[in-house]
Amino acid sequence: MKPFMFLLAAAAFAMPAFATPPVALTAADVPALLAPPSKGVRVIALWALDCAYCEANLSALADFRAGHPDVDLVIVATDPVSQAATLDARLKAAKLDALPTRAYADATPDRLNFLIDPAWGGETPRTMIIRADGTRRAASGMLDSAHIATLVR
Amino acid sequence: MRRLLAFFSLVACATVAHAQHDMAGMTMGHGAPLGFDAAIDPAGNLWVVDTVGEHVRARRSDDMGRTFALSTIVNATGEPLYAEGENRPKIALGPKGELYVTWSQPRKLPWTGFVRFSRSLDGGAHFDPPKTVHTDRAEITHRFDSLAVDGKGDVLVAWIDKRDLEAANARKKPYAGAATYYSWSTDRGATFAPERKIADQSCECCRIALARAPDGHIDAFFRAIYGDNIRDHAFAALPTDGSAPKVERATFTQWHIEGCPHHGPSLAIDARGTRHAVWFSAADGKATVWYGQLAPGKEPARVLSLAGNGASHADLAVAGDHVWVAYHQMTAQGLDLVLRESNDGGAHFGEPRTLAHTDGPSGWPKLVLWDGRAFVAWNPGGTFRLVPTEALLSSGSQP
Repeated sequence: MKPFMFLLAAAAFAMPAFATPPVALTAADVPALLAPPSKGVRVIALWALDCAYCEANLSALADFRAGHPDVDLVIVATDPVSQAATLDARLKAAKLDALPTRAYADATPDRLNFLIDPAWGGETPRTMIIRADGTRRAASGMLDSAHIATLVR
Repeated sequence: MRRLLAFFSLVACATVAHAQHDMAGMTMGHGAPLGFDAAIDPAGNLWVVDTVGEHVRARRSDDMGRTFALSTIVNATGEPLYAEGENRPKIALGPKGELYVTWSQPRKLPWTGFVRFSRSLDGGAHFDPPKTVHTDRAEITHRFDSLAVDGKGDVLVAWIDKRDLEAANARKKPYAGAATYYSWSTDRGATFAPERKIADQSCECCRIALARAPDGHIDAFFRAIYGDNIRDHAFAALPTDGSAPKVERATFTQWHIEGCPHHGPSLAIDARGTRHAVWFSAADGKATVWYGQLAPGKEPARVLSLAGNGASHADLAVAGDHVWVAYHQMTAQGLDLVLRESNDGGAHFGEPRTLAHTDGPSGWPKLVLWDGRAFVAWNPGGTFRLVPTEALLSSGSQP
């Protein structure tokens, strides 16, 4: 019992210092998320816990971003922000927790899907590109580096 | 330094343990899970299954969903449940008043699950303790269950299963998606035959549509993978004599996605054997709910785009020449329940008609038939409703 207690205490003490839990994304936050960046490209990477392809897609996007400083990558989970601990653990396991992350905070996730992109049926992963000139592109499914480069260009 | 490392590893362990615990009790939704299923028995009583916490609940309404005269917990001992979206509890009725219920039970690790079954032989007063349908007990995906009763009264259960993916991974062989399996019971659900594979390399996240053909056998229609992640649909009759199902490609939208559509199809077969189907595709970036009459091995006949952006989770029912399709239409103002209807066997469909609206969420719509009429089972905000398809919410869009 004692080691277990210590474990919990250690975790409780340590969590706030190291965790970057997803920030709630409400319908009211969507316009700001979709606003064109002042320069470069914003990449919105939509993912879900129940999507076996999503972490690989996030990793590919993170690798691309590492080589392109003008790319602003935002990771958005379509799962509820109440699952922040699970989302954070999965992102940590994929070494993606240093990036800005959001999670849905709406009773109707389909509504956020629609507000983010009416042409998106909610399939995951979904990658959305928003350029400084206001133009947008989107693709569904796991992307490789060549596909990402084509999409962002 | 060593002490610091030990500390870090402790934190990492604690975080993983916490995550796994969350996963076990996980519902994929935002608030109470809203997955439900509905069926109407020959006496005109409506049966609804949904979930309350870790319990599946079966309810009977004798007044078409206004009130419930009976409410019974199916699994007396609580367990984690998938109860949302494409992964909802199911109910099917046997010819002697049997109630059959299935659901998928999340296991500890992500994407894992067991398919569970229970039955009531006393009109819903009691349910048998649930059992796992499949003999394979590996801690992997067996979920997205579907349930049907054939013309002989045999019970069929189909699901998505990753045992072949796991085996391929172990041999370092490529394997796309998951497999689709099924089992059946010829003794009113007392026992199930060892499961059989329907197809390899099918989609891992879309419900399987099951429908009874005029001769009584059950057909399956499900999203499969062709070539490099072309996610179209396959059709297969499901034999219960131990012979292998014959699987043929049945849609040809050419949607390429290495991902999870989370949009399963629906199938209903009329007395002439015409296989009416709806399915979702976003080929060429165009999200579309399609209708067609399946001709396995070939392009479907009478293919029609029923709905586009924001439309999802269509269900379909048929009676004689009457075909009904109900679906969710998301808008910036909230969620509409929309109907499209054909009176000529699917040759033509009327304009979309909004039956109901909610500002909040709802479980996927389910069409049920009674006395030649169709109703849409719906539960906006968790409140069950049976919406008559003759209902009209907004004016000006009547076909």
